[in-house]
Amino acid sequence: MKGRERILATLDGQPADALPFMPITMMFAADHVGVKYLEYATDYRVQVDAQLRVAEDYDFDYVSVISDPACEAADCGASVKFFPDQPPALDEENALLADKGKLSTLKAPDPSSGGRMHNRLKALSLFKRRAGGDKSIEGWVEGPCAEAADLRGINALMTDFYDDPGFVSGLFEFVLELELAFGKAQIAAGAELIGIGDAAASLVGPKFYEELVWPYETRLVDGLRASGARTRLHICGNTRSILAGMGRLGCDIVDLDSLAPVSQGRREMGPRQVLLGNIDPVRALRNGTPESVYDAVAECHREACNRFIVGAGCEVPRDTPAANLRAMARYAREHGTAELQPKADSSRGLP
Amino acid sequence: MSQFEEMQQAIIDGKAPVVKELTEQALRDGVKPAEFFPKAIVPAMNEVGRRMRDCEFFIPEVLIAARAARAATDILRPLLVGDEASRSAGTVVCCTVKGDLHDIGKNIVAMMLESAGFRIVDLGVDASPEKIVQAVQEHKANLVAMSALLTTTMVNMKAGIAALASAGLRDHVKIMVGGAPVTENWARSIGADGYGKDAPTAVDLARSLVAN
Ligand code: B12
Repeated sequence: MKGRERILATLDGQPADALPFMPITMMFAADHVGVKYLEYATDYRVQVDAQLRVAEDYDFDYVSVISDPACEAADCGASVKFFPDQPPALDEENALLADKGKLSTLKAPDPSSGGRMHNRLKALSLFKRRAGGDKSIEGWVEGPCAEAADLRGINALMTDFYDDPGFVSGLFEFVLELELAFGKAQIAAGAELIGIGDAAASLVGPKFYEELVWPYETRLVDGLRASGARTRLHICGNTRSILAGMGRLGCDIVDLDSLAPVSQGRREMGPRQVLLGNIDPVRALRNGTPESVYDAVAECHREACNRFIVGAGCEVPRDTPAANLRAMARYAREHGTAELQPKADSSRGLP
Repeated sequence: MSQFEEMQQAIIDGKAPVVKELTEQALRDGVKPAEFFPKAIVPAMNEVGRRMRDCEFFIPEVLIAARAARAATDILRPLLVGDEASRSAGTVVCCTVKGDLHDIGKNIVAMMLESAGFRIVDLGVDASPEKIVQAVQEHKANLVAMSALLTTTMVNMKAGIAALASAGLRDHVKIMVGGAPVTENWARSIGADGYGKDAPTAVDLARSLVAN
């Protein structure tokens, strides 16, 4: 099977010759081909080249346009700091919405107007030309809570939940529209899977997650699915208190970070949810040995049962030993899957 | 409810304006500024720390509680005079190290330390070793608290300690470190004086470091 077929089969509950292998690589990919991260994050040709090579050399089943959280915010006009060999980052002290009043005049950027979002679209078109058919092509958008944090400043957003929930909803509305347009443009450019990164959602606790964040995540997921894409939810950090809600979104793939046990994810999201993860990127993957990495993945697989994709809890750290990443690939390749009960179409709500 | 109990509850509930009012009222009633710390602010923040550990509180709750505590400390700090001021636990230079922009954990640690009576000099994020040295000199700090959330920036804690040493300040300050990837072993290996896994531990640690 080709990587793309392997992923699609797994998402559809069909047998596959091996477990899909979908680790997130960004700085690792740039280092792999010897380019500075600034080039990787800002020049789609560099990113596409690096992704294709790292995917080929380590036998990944997919390629991705994920790079850093500042892509959409930059096009909205936020102040972003660029570093020669690190991910671009938002300048929180000078957050775009430091003054909440600015929200009413903020315009969602056109994704194809020559900025950073456009760069991502170009990456997808190039992937389509160069990888189409072999590897799954993944687009990437920020989730509502993460993008709101990027625009408002994460520290301020956290207290806004108490001080001004109306503002938070208004901001989420803005972000939803922005990310839906961006996601759809990515689908049109060639993405068949859209990753949604909503790291900040792991910080807000179950009450605000259910009341304020989840409704917008749902609308985002629904909108992307209606446009024909598969969806992957990635919330970094400790999500133990919000796992059930994450499962109810109906995403094709839910990533678990190392702080959220796979067994608990399985319990709370039911047997049909495809889970991806969750070995500790630093302690297990980077600092481990090929044997310990292989065993750690086996343990995740055991806890996840079927419907499992091999990957780390989050980004593969840049100085991870090659042999450790290969050990993950080896585990994936040695474990095929049998046919499973098809995932019911109306799976939401009832696992 | 006593005045202090009421104030504790208002801090835990994150009601900054109420805390401010209660503080002003208590001062008018003749309560000494130094009394607020052991009787209201510290116990309240201990409870906030407990709730955070037990996953009853998440980041929004912790941040508004810390802000409420600050409503009291902002009023009280200028009123602590002479003996009381120096008895105020000590001066801490807090920062997230060079190259690292994660500051939520550092902010919580700083606010908890502040409500435990420490004076805080917050250097923000991406703080260079030179900046740390300068702040320690300028504010005659006796503690340095460094935070790092990235494995790639943890090494910059080491650089911070080295810079303090070459400026001849190493014996004048205690150094504590923390942040998700940091461990006790790492702290020891770089020559820090202590490691704290969370904000409540940071307060206990800071107290024991300045006591020694
Ligand atoms: C929020 C977040 C962000 C925000 C930060 C915003 C901000 N203003 O802080 C943004 C979006 C900017 C961000 C960016 C990045 N992030 Co980030 N981020 C997180 C996230 C989700 C939460 C961190 C957090 O705030 N936790 C809550 C606080 C309260 O916990 P804490 O910091 O650990 O603090 C507690 C204790 O550690 C302790 N403590 C902390 N400091 C100190 C200091 C002392 C002295 C003591 C005693 C105790 C102490 O007390 C605190 C309270 O109890 C984590 C995942 C996670 N959950 O850990 C990833 C995470 C830290 N990020 C990560 C990465 C890789 C990045 C990026 C490189 C991503 C990218 N490719 O662009 C960039 C780097 C930017 C930079 N140069 O710093 C990785 C780090 C991996 C690693 N170990 O190297 C993590 C772990 C995600 C993951 N699973 O891979 N991130």
